[in-house]
Amino acid sequence: MSLLRLENVTKRFGGLVAVNGVSLEIDAGQFVGIVGPNGSGKTTLFNVISGVYFPEQGRVIFEENDITRLPSYKRAPLGMGRTFQIPRPFSSASVRENVAVGAMFGTLSGKLSVDDSLELADAIIARVGLKGYRDKQAGTLTPVEKKMMEIARALAMKPKLLLMDEAMAGMHPTDIDQMVAFIKMVAVEDKIAVVAMVEHIMRAVVGMAEKVIVLHQGAKLVDAPTKEALGDPRVVEVYLGRPLKE
Amino acid sequence: MKKISKYYPLIPVFAAYLVMFLIGFFIPGMWQMAALLAFYCALGQSWNIFMGMTGYVDFGYVTFIALGTYGMSLGITYFSQYEWLGIGIIVIGVVLALVLASLSALLEAFIALRLRGAYFAIACIGINEGLRYFIEGAKIWGGSEGLIYFGALVQAFGRDTVNQLTTFWSDFSVFVIAALAAFLNMHYMRSKIGYALTAVREDEDAAKVMGINANKYKTIAFLTSGWLGASVGAMAWGLKLGHVYPGDVFVIHYTVECIVVVLLGGAGTLLGPVVGGLIYALSKYWLAVVMPGFQLLIFAPIILVIIVMAPEGVVGLLKRKLKGTKLEMFIE
Amino acid sequence: MTFTLLGNLTHGLLLGGVYGLATMGLSLIFGVINVVNVGHGQFIMVGAFITLTMFTLLGLSPVVAIPVALIIGMALGFFFFYTVIRRLIRAPELTSLLATFAMGILLEEVAKLIFGADFRGYNWAVGKITLPITTIPLSKVYAFLGSIAIALFLYFWFSRTRIGTAIRAVIEDNEGARVCGVNVGWIYALSFAIGIGLTVMSGVLLTMFIPVGINPYMGGVYTLKAFVIAVLGGLTSPYGAFFAGLIFGLIENGAYTLFALIPGVAPFPLTVSLAFWMLFFLLLVKPTGLLGK
Repeated sequence: MSLLRLENVTKRFGGLVAVNGVSLEIDAGQFVGIVGPNGSGKTTLFNVISGVYFPEQGRVIFEENDITRLPSYKRAPLGMGRTFQIPRPFSSASVRENVAVGAMFGTLSGKLSVDDSLELADAIIARVGLKGYRDKQAGTLTPVEKKMMEIARALAMKPKLLLMDEAMAGMHPTDIDQMVAFIKMVAVEDKIAVVAMVEHIMRAVVGMAEKVIVLHQGAKLVDAPTKEALGDPRVVEVYLGRPLKE
Repeated sequence: MKKISKYYPLIPVFAAYLVMFLIGFFIPGMWQMAALLAFYCALGQSWNIFMGMTGYVDFGYVTFIALGTYGMSLGITYFSQYEWLGIGIIVIGVVLALVLASLSALLEAFIALRLRGAYFAIACIGINEGLRYFIEGAKIWGGSEGLIYFGALVQAFGRDTVNQLTTFWSDFSVFVIAALAAFLNMHYMRSKIGYALTAVREDEDAAKVMGINANKYKTIAFLTSGWLGASVGAMAWGLKLGHVYPGDVFVIHYTVECIVVVLLGGAGTLLGPVVGGLIYALSKYWLAVVMPGFQLLIFAPIILVIIVMAPEGVVGLLKRKLKGTKLEMFIE
Repeated sequence: MTFTLLGNLTHGLLLGGVYGLATMGLSLIFGVINVVNVGHGQFIMVGAFITLTMFTLLGLSPVVAIPVALIIGMALGFFFFYTVIRRLIRAPELTSLLATFAMGILLEEVAKLIFGADFRGYNWAVGKITLPITTIPLSKVYAFLGSIAIALFLYFWFSRTRIGTAIRAVIEDNEGARVCGVNVGWIYALSFAIGIGLTVMSGVLLTMFIPVGINPYMGGVYTLKAFVIAVLGGLTSPYGAFFAGLIFGLIENGAYTLFALIPGVAPFPLTVSLAFWMLFFLLLVKPTGLLGK
């Protein structure tokens, strides 16, 4: 049984076809990268998976349940976590409260009291390395700290699937390596499947993904183990254009 | 115990209400003042649940108070003939008030699905005006003349009881409502509801992705706030006035008063509406003596000044100053 | 005067022009500074009182009141902008909402202080024009012509003059305009002032149409109507607002005629209530496209 399966998903905005008949499969605990140039439909695909949009055609299946038309807030307790490219903290609340929200409404929703959630938040904050910032107002954090908090918040949801939307954008190469190592470690420990969406940060893709899905103009171009996918001449062409004539 | 300390901020609030009540009860001539204080604190606290927690501004909030008044009036008008119901008539009045308020709250929740910010605020004015003119236009509930039910009340309870009801019990219930509102405020703030609403207020789409059913929580807040407002209307106006008509109750300036109370004290805080209510009620009382009819004229520019200079209100400022000190846990 | 449906609709159309003009002010302010003027109706009330005062005290026709209203309106606009609005541009939406709301209340109370709370009116008898379907007092015709004239003037002003173009630029993209050398801060102030000026002017025209019922609290209802019209026409387009105003006027008067036929109801308050139900219906029908951004 795959964790997430997309069957021929198409999403249109008026005349524009943003996602064109994409099918893919992600297994529990798998690391997958979704790449593609600007406008290839990655963000829309993510939004369809997390329920921000409903597709015109096709199905989204999570653990054998058809969630195609399930509202986004119902997907979280099923095990879908997500971070945003530009972090979206709940600015007036503390880091601790932000992360606790993840715990309260994620897969453990209904099983945790507010105090339990706060405790869980503390544990994750420590794990992520933000311990000193626990009571700081989220709006006052630096961008990198906000990213870490985003991840902590998503982890607090105890997800089975973590959708990471260009999480490494704007980070130092060394920070990226650290982040990748951290996520791999956590994901393996907690048995989370990680789907990372990246645009240019090949470093992260190579470091983390077992397989890579390349999108181009809304359709799936390649779906293969990382090295193979990135070496595929079609992929090279899509990113770099035709080779110069001698 | 960890759990109880969560509720410490309620202590100053309840203490304030207790003091108000005792002063009003034991010092002759002060009851009216105390009742006025309780009225504004209760309203402020109820409005705070709406605006402070959800971030939605309901410019037509007075609709709840008005509907509450009508609920009580309708209850008395139609049920006092059944004298055997006794106090049940009042209970029915309250129930009607809550039912009417629920309809309005659900309507607003529906509107909140589609509108935010200024649009929502104005749409709520629309509900107020729409209801008021609908009652007048369709001539229901007595149309523009309204209902006169004082006679029915006296007939059901006798002059002495009615006297007691209108001069003591109605105001006392406002105290109770104020305390209840404060408690609910605190309870929500500390529970999943509060966290959900904060998240929704800050970033609704992110909140939804986190698993929060935004509409459910907004509806809970709207309903709670509406019920409290309607209860105040039913008990403070419905029982006392004896006569209700649309032009008297669906009046936007009461919403303004709620806004002043909460802004003065500090929106989104627990103690804020109490502080604001005290300041406002005292000023209103004093102004009514010194310069009757000019309250709003004075308060409108004050609102402007507060918005521009001190948007966090008295309690907000206090919270900031006390951060990191022992007193912090009493001020919320 | 015989009231037929067509006759009423004509009146409605004429009134719609005035409504439309009033809403243009609202749209302009929203388009440029992103502030919704919740005190909109109260500025209309100001215009009404200006007309009343000039007519009853100075014996001047409402036509003269139009430019006076514009000047006073713009002065008020600048005043409120520099004292209050300017500081709130970057603040959360809530604060500007509450601020404009408070401004409206302030205007009401000042008006009450100066004029008292009674309902006033005036009678500008300039004759009527008789059409086959109905008889229309010329004052109403003038009001309608006035609003069309002003709307047309605005159209040319926005498209042909430097300042008008600058304003349009800021509406489109204020950062881009800034980079092109537009003094955005001044444009904000000017636009707010013009928006308020328009609104006050429309108050004059409104009294030319409905010269009775002038009182400090008359404004609230017009805020609601303006809002419905703005939503109908798309808050970003002042011209859309004008046409939506016409449509609104038609529907309002048509409804009044229909309501008057139903026994046992009071048609006037019911018509006022209509604005809310229209809004509600709009919300049901156009749920996502509402903000027109």
